[in-house]
Formats: sequence, C-alpha cells, structure tokens
Amino acid sequence: MKKLTYFPGCSAHGTSEEFDHTLKLVMKSLEVELDEIPDWNCCGATSAHVMTENLALALPLRNLVLAETLHNDTMGIACASCYARHKVTKYELDKDPVLAKKINTTIDDGTYHGSVEVKSMLQFVYEDIGIEKIKSLVKKPLTGLKVACYYGCLLTRPKAITQFDSPEYPMSMDRIMEALGATAVPFDFKTECCGASFSISSSDVVLSLSGKILEYAKASGADMIVVACPLCQSNLDMRQPGVEKLFHVKLNLPVMYFTQLLALAFGHDQKDLMLGKHIVPVEKALAKIGKEPEKKEEIKSKKTVESEEAK
Amino acid sequence: MITLGIKDQHTFLDEVNKRSGCNILECYQCGKCSGTCPVSMYMDITPRQVMQFVKLGMKDEVLVANSSWFCLTCAACSGRCPRQIDIPRVMETIRHIAIEENISSKSKKVKDIRKFHDIFLDMVRRYGRGYELRLMAEFNIRTRNYFKDMFLAPSALGKGKIKLLPARMKTAKAIKRMFDMAKKLEEQPKQ
Amino acid sequence: MARVGVFVCFCGANIADFVDVNEVVEETKKIKDVKFAINYKYMCSDPGQGLIKQAIIENKLTSVVVAACSPRMHEKTFRRAISEAGLNPFLLEIANIREHSSWVHQKDKKSATAKSCDLVRMAVAKSIANEQLHEISVPVTKRALVIGGGIAGIQAALDIADAHIPVVLVEKSPSIGGRMAQLDETFPTLDCSQCILTPRMVDVATHPYIELIPYSEVVGLDGYVGNYKVQIKKKASYVNFSSCTGCGACSQKCPVKVPNEFNLGHDKRKAIYSPFPQAVPNKPVIDAEHCLMLTKGKCGICKKTCEKGSIDYDMKDEIIEREVGAVVVATGYELYDASPYEEYGVGRFKDVISSLEFERMVSASGPTGGTPIRPSDGEIPKNVVFIKCVGSRDEAKGIEYCLKNMLHVHCKARHAATS
Repeated sequence: MKKLTYFPGCSAHGTSEEFDHTLKLVMKSLEVELDEIPDWNCCGATSAHVMTENLALALPLRNLVLAETLHNDTMGIACASCYARHKVTKYELDKDPVLAKKINTTIDDGTYHGSVEVKSMLQFVYEDIGIEKIKSLVKKPLTGLKVACYYGCLLTRPKAITQFDSPEYPMSMDRIMEALGATAVPFDFKTECCGASFSISSSDVVLSLSGKILEYAKASGADMIVVACPLCQSNLDMRQPGVEKLFHVKLNLPVMYFTQLLALAFGHDQKDLMLGKHIVPVEKALAKIGKEPEKKEEIKSKKTVESEEAK
Repeated sequence: MITLGIKDQHTFLDEVNKRSGCNILECYQCGKCSGTCPVSMYMDITPRQVMQFVKLGMKDEVLVANSSWFCLTCAACSGRCPRQIDIPRVMETIRHIAIEENISSKSKKVKDIRKFHDIFLDMVRRYGRGYELRLMAEFNIRTRNYFKDMFLAPSALGKGKIKLLPARMKTAKAIKRMFDMAKKLEEQPKQ
Repeated sequence: MARVGVFVCFCGANIADFVDVNEVVEETKKIKDVKFAINYKYMCSDPGQGLIKQAIIENKLTSVVVAACSPRMHEKTFRRAISEAGLNPFLLEIANIREHSSWVHQKDKKSATAKSCDLVRMAVAKSIANEQLHEISVPVTKRALVIGGGIAGIQAALDIADAHIPVVLVEKSPSIGGRMAQLDETFPTLDCSQCILTPRMVDVATHPYIELIPYSEVVGLDGYVGNYKVQIKKKASYVNFSSCTGCGACSQKCPVKVPNEFNLGHDKRKAIYSPFPQAVPNKPVIDAEHCLMLTKGKCGICKKTCEKGSIDYDMKDEIIEREVGAVVVATGYELYDASPYEEYGVGRFKDVISSLEFERMVSASGPTGGTPIRPSDGEIPKNVVFIKCVGSRDEAKGIEYCLKNMLHVHCKARHAATS
C-alpha cells in the first residue's frame, strides 16, 4: 500500500467536491493511502502572491512543514493552483536557505527541511502509478467517448519548476484517457489559460479566454473536456452559459475531472461520480460510451467567440 | 514622444532587476511575449513594452499601467522568451512596488481586481481557509455590483458547489499570527 | 642592454596636424632604453628609410620603433630597410599613431598626443622583448585538399585549380552540388540555382587539375603545415564508375523505394540511385542499408538490367592516401532540428515545414513540380506564414548567435510563393 500525503485545498469541500470524492475512489482502486495533512491552511492561491512577497511563501510553507510530520516522501495536490503555490515555494526555499529561515519565523509549527516532494495528482498518477497499472484496472472501457484534455497553465509551466510533461503540448492526461479506452482528440488550446482567478473580479476576461477554449474543443470534435484543476473546471463549466449568452454560440460541452473518468472506467457507477454537481449536464456525452461512432456533426452556427468579440 | 527619467533610469531598473532576479537589459524586444500573452489586448502597455519602459526608467508609466494587474502568471511568455527572462516575476515585482509606493492604475477594472485580492486575503486571515460565499458577496457589495452572478447563486448553492458556512481550521489563530509576522517582514527594509 | 631607436613620422599633415610630433619625440627620449628619437616628414620615403638605416649603424641600435601609419601599409617596407642595415627584420615594431590616434581624435590634439606617446611607449617595450626570427623555407606539397563539394568547395577547387595547383576534392554524397542544388533561386539575383551551379559542377568534373573523389569521406589527416598526408575512405558504391554510362536503367527497375533525402522525405528514391538528374558524376550508387541483395541476398534486378555489367555487389570500402600542402574545409551546414519549438507545432502539423523543404517544393525539379502544396492534404495553400529566427538568437532552445541570412531567405521565399 503506497502512502501519499494529501493536500485537498479549499475547493475540495465546495466547488470541486466531485474532484476530491472521485480522487479518493480512484486512489482506493490504485491501492494508495491518502494521508491528509492535519489542519492544513489555504495556500494563498493567486491573491497572496499577487499582493505580497513573504506571506505568499509563508502560507504554503506551513503546509509543507506539516507534511513533513507525516514522513511520506511525496505530497500530492489536486488543485493546480495550490500545486503551483506549493511547488514554487519549495523551489524558492530550497534554492535560498536564508530566505527559508526568514519565512520560517512566521510560523511555529516546525522547521522546514524540504524533505517532501510536491507533485500534482495528474503527475502522481502518470509517473508513480503508470499507464500499465491503469490499463490493468479498467473494467468498463470508455470506447466511443471523444475527449479534449485541457491541462490549463499551471500543471506543466514554468518548465524549470514543474519538470513535468511539456509546457506547450503535454500528453500525460491524453495517454491516461487513451488507457481508459477513450479517444483523446488533438487539441491545440490544451495549455491556454482559462482566465483563472479573474472569474470573480474580471469575469469578461474569463468569458473570452474560456470561450475560446470551449470553442476550440468543440471544433476539435470532442464530446467533453477533461480537466485536472478546480478553477479550470469552474471557469469552463459554470461560466459556459455566460459564454453562450455573450457570444451567441451553442456549446453544450460538459467538463469532467480526469478522476471522475478514471473512477467510471474502474467500474464505479455513474451515480458515484457526483455528476449532479455539473452545471453543463454530462449524461448525454457519457451515453456515447460503448456506442458506434456517429457521423461527424456539422457545426451549423458560423458565429464564433472570436467573430462575436471582434464586433 | 518619450520622456526619459534619466535621474531614475538606473535606480528603477536596478530595483526591478534585483527583486525579480532577472536582467531586463537582456531583452532584445522580439515581442514573442506580447504575441503569446492571452490578455495582452486588455493591457495598457504590452509585456514587451513593459520591458522597454523599465529599461528606460519610466517608473511612473509602468506603475500606473494596468498591465501587471492583468498578468495571469500563466508563464506562457517566459516559456518562449529566447532570453529566458522570467516575465511573470517581473510583473509581480512591478505590482509589489506599486503597492509599496501606493501608485496604481486609477481604472475601475484594476481597482476591482485589487479589491478582490484584498477580500480574499481577509477571508484567509479570518478562517484560515477560503470562504467563497462571503468572498463573492463582499466583492459585489464593495464594487457596487450587487447583482453580479446572482443567477449562478441558486444552482451553485443548490448543487453544493458553494457552501453556506465557512470551513473552519482548528488552529486558525496560527494563520492570524502568520499574517502579522509576514507583515512585519514586509516592513523591514528591502535588501 | 637595449638600445631602441624611435622614428616618428609626420605623414605630411595626416599625423602632424593632429598630433604634436615634436612633443612625441621629446617624451620618447625620456624613456630609459631609447637611445635615439627623431621625427621626419615622410618616414616611408627613400630619405626617410635612409635616416633609419644610418641611425641603426651610428647608434648601434638593437631594435626599432616606427611611429607612423598602420603596419598594413609599411611594416614590410621598414622590415626590409632595417635588415639592410644589418638588424634582424623582426626587431621592428610599428606604433600606429595615424589610424589609432590622429585619424580618430582630430578634435583633441592634447589627448591625441598623449595617446601617441603611450602607443610609442608600448611599442618600445615590445620591441625590446622581441626575439630575432629567421625565415625558413619549407617545401610545400603543391596540391590542395578541399573537403566538401558544395558550392563553397566547388568554387575553392576551381580557383585553386585555375592557378594550376592540383586539387583533390572529396565529397561524401554520391554527387557534388550540396545545398545549392536543393535551392530554387539564389539571393539577390533570383537566378535559378541549379542553372548557375551545374556548369561549375561540370567544370570541376572536367578540370585537368581537379581529382574529384565522390561518395567518400576524410578519415585521417596527419603531417604539418604544407606537408599533410590524408586518408580518404572511398565508400563502396557497388557500381563500377569506369564502365557505367549513367543510363539510369538500373534505377528504373529497382523495386525498393526509400524516402528521398534530397527532397527531405517528400518523395521516394530507389535503393540504387543518383541523387538528382544533373548529378556529377552522373553515376548511381547502391544504398547498402536498403538494397535487397546487400541486406537479404535477394533481387539482383539492377545487375541483370545493366548492359555494361557495371554492378558489383562484392565491392568494398577502400582507403586511399594523398599528399597535400593545404586543406580547405567546406563542409557546409546541417538543418537545425526545430522540434523544441512546440509552439510552432513542428513535427505535429504536417504543414509546418522548413525553408529547405519549401525550396524543394517551389523548385521545378522538386517533388511537387514547382507548386507549393500542403503536405497534409495536397491542396495549394491560400495563406503562407514565414516564421523567422527559429533556433537562432535563442539560448533557451537553440543557438545564441544570429545566422545573418534571415532576410535573404525570407525575401526569396516570399517572391517564390507569390509568383
């Protein structure tokens, strides 16, 4: 039984509950025991590093110090933003012990040693579990389902820090999906930023950026978009009606977490996947699994997000 | 027309170089960053122009521009920069200097973005973890956009995407102390 | 004991108007080892040179400094002059107080003079440290080796051979021509590249002073300046060049098809092949990696077809030796592998091609007969985008230097695309 220190992040019990829930189901199938960090705190997300220098490092530092008390060699983080914050903090503090000591004075939960490696859940599943193991656990292959794998900007960038997959055209999630029997369509917007934390403060930016991603995914022939980040999921799913309204396009493109599809392929029932949480319904897309491929749908509307924006 | 702040030229450039850990003089203005940036069309001055302005010591223009506030830190630019300049880090340094010197864009958009970040950090300080409902409500009130995203509320609350009550940390006090200690570190003179 | 003589030239008004040549002499006299210092209107003239020779003899000078124009002008002159006075010609130093002082500091006589004094002082010190050198004669093998049969190698070989010096030209491909044979047009004349290249290729093949060794590589070189021994590996072509007429019947019958390197993989060639129609020499070679006979012992059609019986499957690589006096390296360039540039979709999109592939496409003798065609669907493109500086000036993913040819390639390509 592998043990993985787990940092759930603030959205795990709210906006991305389905991610957290299905992750736990998947980890059970993969025989990985999740060791949740005791009394973890918010990583500071975007706001901390945008506005501050030291606090931005202090918040993740506390979690890293707490993680060390669990004595596992790796910490897995589901949310891409939390992952980025912890990874960057570790990178900066490992590089500069004087800085590490300085930031350490803000907490009294312990001393930072840098002994825990930080990985995103996608990275952990791809590197530490591996494709062969995933293939062996597939009970209900997802054949017939065409997915566009959307990585977002934080899982593979900046390259020097994440050291995982390609910063321009990553393929890890695509390969996982293929291992589950689905078809991962070629998708050029896979690492274009969705607008991230501007969701609340500058929604029009999100509508434009996420709109382009959704549109491109649809044009690439995908039945759904698969993500590994709660903020991406929220922007692409919750904001999709807004995109449709503003740019007069019809999308109907559900957005699922890769752990939900893993759980489904591993044999879990659809009702275990918390599908009710989705704003854009997923059932129609999931119904394609196991069916003959349909004739390619003509995209009737000539209006696109870009053409509407130009107006 | 360019006005050169010759007196400040090297001071500002040196400060940005030091705090960002980059050497902006390496930038040879190829423009790949601006071409790549997904939000460059929202910026007063594009990333490439920001680099040039910093080089020329145009401190006020850079601090007052909305550019650094729109930066998503998506790192698409730095991944392609042939001079390996950490452009998001430069944008971050500019933001921090703007906060410290209390000079910033007067545009509503930037003010809204800054308000959001302030409220978010306030939530973290209070609860140790994010509290989305209060964050969105306070944001709407403070930006006087009371009904923003209201149509989302029923489904979001109903589906449990946004919780009514905040999550609680057992040792939320530790976070308050962290904020205070971090603030003291900020107040120390910059090395 | 050093006894240096310093001779400062007015150079008419060239130096004297901007440098106080009298002051230079006065300051120079203060230097410890300077036993004689004088200035003169034109040091390079006969009387000027006479002055130097006389001073050497009368003052028993051990080295000489001439403060004048660039050594490129008269260093030889002054070396000859001092050797006529019995001093070793390499005990001369030139202080360039014209190009390095008076010509570049015309607005500041004071500083120019001070700088000239410094230049003289430095030259004096060096002249004392100089050792006597004696020119020796070394016999030089009057033959040149040119490595590489592209246009640079071809032109070098022709220039040397036209001077009646024998040349050994080694080329690793079956034919000479190199990259220029792959281009459509040249810059800036927009000449048809092969049209201006092939006559030179023929010149090389027929030149009485050039020994062309195709399909070969240099595998060893030793010796010293003017006297080198080079070992050349002649790769087995499996075709007897002396009897082969280049009729091409063998290639026509060969059943094996392989991606054609000359067209960068956009079409196919046979296992027995000549790289392009105007190849020099126009004799095919067998690609041992893909030939069925050489790999599996099957087929043998080319041998059966050849009326001259030129195919010889038993041919072996051969090492030959040549003695040469000079080597010209003209090995050309490799195309940069642009796959690190994932943002351009290199390798992922079939329609993202290199400029050389584009050249082959717009070339009338190319895989598409001169029409640019999208490799993905065979359609004529409506829009063409040229991306420059891929891999250059980029320490992160490529090389740091600039290739200095971007403008040429771009202008030419735009012209080709639009016509």
